[in-house]
Amino acid sequence: MSYVTIENINKSFNDQQVLHNLNLAFEEGEFVTLLGPSGCGKSTLLRILAGLTTPEAGIIKIDGKDVTNVKPKDRKVGMVFQSYALFPNMTVEENIAFGLKMQKMNKEVIAKKVSRMIELVELKGKEKAYPRELSGGQQQRVALARSLVTEPKVLLLDEPLSALDAQIRKNLQKLLRSLQQELNMTTVLVTHDQEEAMAVSDRIYILNAGHIAQEGKPHDIYTRPANEFVARFIGNYNVLTKKQISLLIKDESQFTHDLYAVRPEAFGSEFIMDGYKISGKVQNIMPLGNITRYEIVSGGVAVTVEHLHKSYEKLQENELKTLYINKEDVIPLT
Amino acid sequence: MKRPLYHYFMIGAVVLYLFVPILATLIYSFATQWHKTILPEGLTLGWYRDLFGDVRFLEALGRSLLLSFSATALGLVVMVPTIFSIVLYAPKLEKFIQMLIVMTYAMPGVIIAVGLIRAYSGSRIPMILVTVGAYFVGILPYMYQGTRNSLRNIHAESLMEAAEMLGASRFTAFSKVIIPNILSGIIVSSLLSFSILFGEFVLVNLLAGGHFETIQTYLYQKLNTSGHIASAIVVCYFLLICVLSTIIVRVTRSKKGGGGR
Amino acid sequence: MKRINGMLFVSIIPFFILIALFLFIPLFSMIYASFQGDGGTGFTFNQYAEIFQNFYYHQAFKNSIMISLLSSLIAMVMAIFAAYSITLFSKNIQDRILIFANLTSNFAGIPLAFAFIVLLGNSGLFTLLFRAWGWETLSSFNLYSWSGLILIYVYFQLPLAVMLLYPVYQGVQAGWKEAASLLGASSLQFWVRIGAPVMLPSVAGTFSILFANAMGAYASAYALTGSTYNLVTIRVGALTTGDIFARPELGSALAVLLGLTLIIAMFINEWLTRKVRRDLL
Repeated sequence: MSYVTIENINKSFNDQQVLHNLNLAFEEGEFVTLLGPSGCGKSTLLRILAGLTTPEAGIIKIDGKDVTNVKPKDRKVGMVFQSYALFPNMTVEENIAFGLKMQKMNKEVIAKKVSRMIELVELKGKEKAYPRELSGGQQQRVALARSLVTEPKVLLLDEPLSALDAQIRKNLQKLLRSLQQELNMTTVLVTHDQEEAMAVSDRIYILNAGHIAQEGKPHDIYTRPANEFVARFIGNYNVLTKKQISLLIKDESQFTHDLYAVRPEAFGSEFIMDGYKISGKVQNIMPLGNITRYEIVSGGVAVTVEHLHKSYEKLQENELKTLYINKEDVIPLT
Repeated sequence: MKRPLYHYFMIGAVVLYLFVPILATLIYSFATQWHKTILPEGLTLGWYRDLFGDVRFLEALGRSLLLSFSATALGLVVMVPTIFSIVLYAPKLEKFIQMLIVMTYAMPGVIIAVGLIRAYSGSRIPMILVTVGAYFVGILPYMYQGTRNSLRNIHAESLMEAAEMLGASRFTAFSKVIIPNILSGIIVSSLLSFSILFGEFVLVNLLAGGHFETIQTYLYQKLNTSGHIASAIVVCYFLLICVLSTIIVRVTRSKKGGGGR
Repeated sequence: MKRINGMLFVSIIPFFILIALFLFIPLFSMIYASFQGDGGTGFTFNQYAEIFQNFYYHQAFKNSIMISLLSSLIAMVMAIFAAYSITLFSKNIQDRILIFANLTSNFAGIPLAFAFIVLLGNSGLFTLLFRAWGWETLSSFNLYSWSGLILIYVYFQLPLAVMLLYPVYQGVQAGWKEAASLLGASSLQFWVRIGAPVMLPSVAGTFSILFANAMGAYASAYALTGSTYNLVTIRVGALTTGDIFARPELGSALAVLLGLTLIIAMFINEWLTRKVRRDLL
């Protein structure tokens, strides 16, 4: 049996059902991400797991214990909020010690645990600082430490990094992942950023309008999107109808599904045995740093193509180009 | 920025209008004689000496402070947790609070006094307690505004959730996390309420009348007996208001500036 | 539904008991009393009938409404210009002026009336000054007349109006003004076409607050001449606690009508505001 199970959860707000009979299961020490666009119900699900929101129906079990009717404070679950929610009247140290004080722990033990945690999140020297004296990234590290120090059974992260700059976000993702592995902490992350989800998770649940759209390892989800929603949400997949792909590849007999997805970087200039070939005009060239993105127009259909930027290869607008693609990279959608 | 002269004139006129009566009272309170001449005939501290030598004045001052303080304290203890609970856990009741506030605007002192006399005069509840109750109702708008804004500024809801996730009960979270963070806001509301109540005349005069002489009713008595002592009272009253306002401004500033503690 | 919340109930119950005791019960007993005969007997409309028939009470309402409208209007016009002028100064000076306004807004009631007696009473400072300079018309100004009372009312309305209107000007964003001037609008055109319509609801709201504030005022007029001004609040106070002429039931009826006037004023304001806002959209 899994470490955390969520069974048949339903939730409505004002007669609007936001979660439809959801079933999820997380293993001990696993890093799971709930990924989806805003309004898909991922935060609500996380808050239900935390006990901050009550579901209409369903059962939540943590470590074999039914906690559906347990108050948030007694669930042994830690949570990090998007807004950090640090206590402005307390120093870094006091913020981190708060949860331990609530457990009426011995002062010396608290001090020891707090200082170890401060080291782990790389905030040494900031013990006596107040939250407002810290940068956003530092504040979020305090929030993380504050949750981890109580050694919760599950750590919940509600869009913890989305208010931060790109660079700081990357650094914190690394820290988050390494801390999680070091402490073998069962972690559930909610985010709308698919790159972040790919970077840190063991497993991803993609949510759409209160349903699970797909579940799997990051690599599988990225290379094998199960449906149109996932294909469009993950990366910049080209989603083509049967008619469009037939016009593009000129091989009608092959395509029996209604929709197909093709990753922009799956196209290459080198000949592929037993692959598909497309020829067309280059348009809308966009140099995006390390990659170049452009469109190939063939038979009136445009597909987005991306490849690594190479200085010796100069593309021209309207130049004719031939590209090749593996057959398995043209993914039928259900 | 270049400013046309008339802006200076406009502000000057308003400030003058508001300042001259205060200044005149101040001078009058130091004047020995000022009946026939344009400037006072001499200056003296005698009126203040008389005033502070008057036990009746000191008692009235004490009563005023006690009355305003108890009503403010009652408001603080009862309203802050109520407003907190309603804002976070029963937002539907907030409409009701707002309706109560509109009612207090539609029922100025005189009206509420009539109702209170009707309801409680001759009952076993002493009228002075009724006055405290009326003051409690009267400061609701200020306490609501201050508490509500402070709660919004600190994002009270997520702080409560964070504290609860860390194992705190609601009461512990409220007293350890929410209260320290809204303290400056509710101090400002309390001082504001206190200074308004301290200047209140209508209710205490109509409800408690001669039985409970406050600084305002004492001043009313003195108007007709000694103008100089009356002006000394007004000056003292105004000074107290100044002190309270200064504290309010300081507290508000330090909160806005977000500087160290 | 949220979990049952002990704290909610523990804190709310005393609050509602106090509100019931000191707001609802007096309100209802006042309304009830207003339908009783003198001495608190029976059920009758006589008190209201008397008010509607008695010229004296008509006049009290007329006086109260007139002085409230007039003092609100004067304070409003002064504040509209003054608050705008304030916004043109440095932040530091703006703060100081606002603190001063806040301070003087506390200067009302008895102390205020007394300050004006010192200035303009029978042997007031200005009265003496004008007499010495031979300005007969000014020195014969009577503080205890209606114009004297208006002077005092404007005094306590003005700082309130400035404090309420100042933030409204902050709402008129500098960006709009710049955009309008780039589009070729003059300063006057900007204020007529954009500034004034945006501010109108708040101006109307401020006016109704001032009006209610003046309608309910009691202490200043009472301090000046006791019960001789024929204002509604003075009449209510005299009827309720007067030693000789006490008629609390009549006072209650008068108080109910005063409250209704204030509620009507607030509704008119609300209606106007909504109408203006809809026109804006």
